[in-house]
Amino acid sequence: MKHALIRNRSFSLAYAGFKIFLQLAFMLLILAIIVFYVARLTPGDPLQSFYGDAVQSMTQEQLDAARDRLGLNEPVYMQFGKWIEHAVQGNFGISLRYKRPVLDIIKPLLGNTLILGVISYTVIFALAIGLALVCARYEDKWIDKFICKIGTIAYYTPAFWLGVVLVLIFSINLQLLPASGAYDYGKSKDWLNWAKHLILPVTIMVASHFWYYAYMIRNKLLDETRKDYVLLARAKGMSKMSVLVRHCLRNVMPAIINIMAISVPHIISGTYVAETVFNFPGMGLMAVSSAKYHDYNLLMIIVLITGFLVIISSFIAQFINERIDPRIKGAETITL
Amino acid sequence: MNTQSPKIHAPANPNFNAERPLTAEDFKIVGANFEAQSQEQDKIQTFAKKKIKNFPYFSVFTLCAILFACFFSHLFVNHDPTQFYLTNLNTPPDSEFWFGTDSLGRDIFSVLWNGGRVSIFIGILSTVIAAGIGIIYGCISGCASTFLDTVMMRIAELFQSIPALLTLLLLLSLQAKQTPVSISVVIGITSWFALARIVRAEVRQIRNSEYILLSRHMGASFFWVMRKHLIPNIVSAIMFIVISSISTNMAMEATLSFLGLGLPPEELSLGSMLALSNRALLLNTWWVIIFPGIFLLITLFSITQIGHIFRQENCKGFSNL
Repeated sequence: MKHALIRNRSFSLAYAGFKIFLQLAFMLLILAIIVFYVARLTPGDPLQSFYGDAVQSMTQEQLDAARDRLGLNEPVYMQFGKWIEHAVQGNFGISLRYKRPVLDIIKPLLGNTLILGVISYTVIFALAIGLALVCARYEDKWIDKFICKIGTIAYYTPAFWLGVVLVLIFSINLQLLPASGAYDYGKSKDWLNWAKHLILPVTIMVASHFWYYAYMIRNKLLDETRKDYVLLARAKGMSKMSVLVRHCLRNVMPAIINIMAISVPHIISGTYVAETVFNFPGMGLMAVSSAKYHDYNLLMIIVLITGFLVIISSFIAQFINERIDPRIKGAETITL
Repeated sequence: MNTQSPKIHAPANPNFNAERPLTAEDFKIVGANFEAQSQEQDKIQTFAKKKIKNFPYFSVFTLCAILFACFFSHLFVNHDPTQFYLTNLNTPPDSEFWFGTDSLGRDIFSVLWNGGRVSIFIGILSTVIAAGIGIIYGCISGCASTFLDTVMMRIAELFQSIPALLTLLLLLSLQAKQTPVSISVVIGITSWFALARIVRAEVRQIRNSEYILLSRHMGASFFWVMRKHLIPNIVSAIMFIVISSISTNMAMEATLSFLGLGLPPEELSLGSMLALSNRALLLNTWWVIIFPGIFLLITLFSITQIGHIFRQENCKGFSNL
């Protein structure tokens, strides 16, 4: 009996893993098809990015030969078939612009983006939960109203403009913080230098994102304070803050984790802007430039990595939620 | 026998007059439900008061002033917004160029109003497109069978899970040169997913109501039901999101132009003005960055505050805390 139960459970775990893998593969495939076709539809010549200005001096025969060699003359579905064939073997092609394997180009950039993204993500949610608790504790008092106003202004300030203004103040006029890059030349081992370069990008990421999440969590907490158990806890003599932290926050945790999962694409979008403003060598900067220069292979790998991060994070959120609250299993878990 | 005339319980109302026929105001609610009902009334009254008190007069005034100034800017600007004053590049603000000139020699004060007009146009057009797609998609999905509904929502989720900037990047590169209309279309078709999901949730709640069944049984087509029954019922739920997405879309246009993917510099908009701010950083000309940015910020904030009128109260009742 016991044996059967265990076998059953391990079977269901394997089944769930298999299902997640299938869904992931399916979604990535759809994403790849869409991006592949849309990227090929764009006007502009990929040879321009391969040869640079030398394209103008090349003869028609040379151009045709180059196209043949790069496989640009075949129908799009043939190109896609070839790309898939190579991709499953771990070969994502070479960048047309840099003439190196795209994985080599992406690796250091991915690290930079992850550092920026993870730090911002942590700060955003720590700040959001903290502010939401303060707002819920002092509902409709001046401090709540003040935080709401400041938050709304911060949320609607375009991130790039805030970045430019901060550079203007702190880098150009006060000369306190560096304005661009991930580290000064030759100082890639110096973590203090890294931290200095991260302050401004993280600031604009946090400023433009925290309020959206803080406001959602605040409203969830306020809904929670209308329930009867709060009255009981207060009658027992618990302080307001500890009721919020020990009871309400725990009850809204599944919703917060869902919000955290949904926020991943927003925050990735945010890193694109922050990287461009501060010239921070990361995936976002590379995505913008590869779309501009028709560097198909590079764009594909960036899109796939992004899609992978987003889908994986939503699965992780679902998994954590089922662990902390088994009632959720099978129910529709998406909020927003 | 009791010959005494029946005693009338005098109401609390001091204006009570026995000659006058009694009206509803002369009675007050008593009994078991007294507490609950009067609380309900209080709540409605305080809610109405709060609503009047919170009406954003200042934002409405600001937005009206901005719109008015944008559309009649030719009456008061002191320079030609399309002119390049090549002898006055990067002039700081002075009595002739009130907000200074940028690195192309344009007078920022004059260009600001034209740019604001284009930006507001882009914000509104893209919101209309997004709202149109979102509402129709949400209504179809909400009324469809479970299978079709699941498929449609999965598709919306898939698109929503791609970072918005990446989708915009791909779609914008389809066209070599952007115009205000093309950029609005691109922003519009990448921002309807969240709206469609809210519409669908609302439609699912009301789709089995009697009036919709009646209408369907009398032979109404889907679009008739949508126009006559579904949209009037969901409009209050989505109004806040629709209005605040005007400001999100304006900010998005500015961001895209700044990244060099949006409008070119000769096409005046707040975004294309701010796209010059990288060059302004090198020259340390703060007025090129600050004035268009503040203008954009004030506009966005006023629109959002106006949207807050339509926000539904999400926390009803009294806190137990």
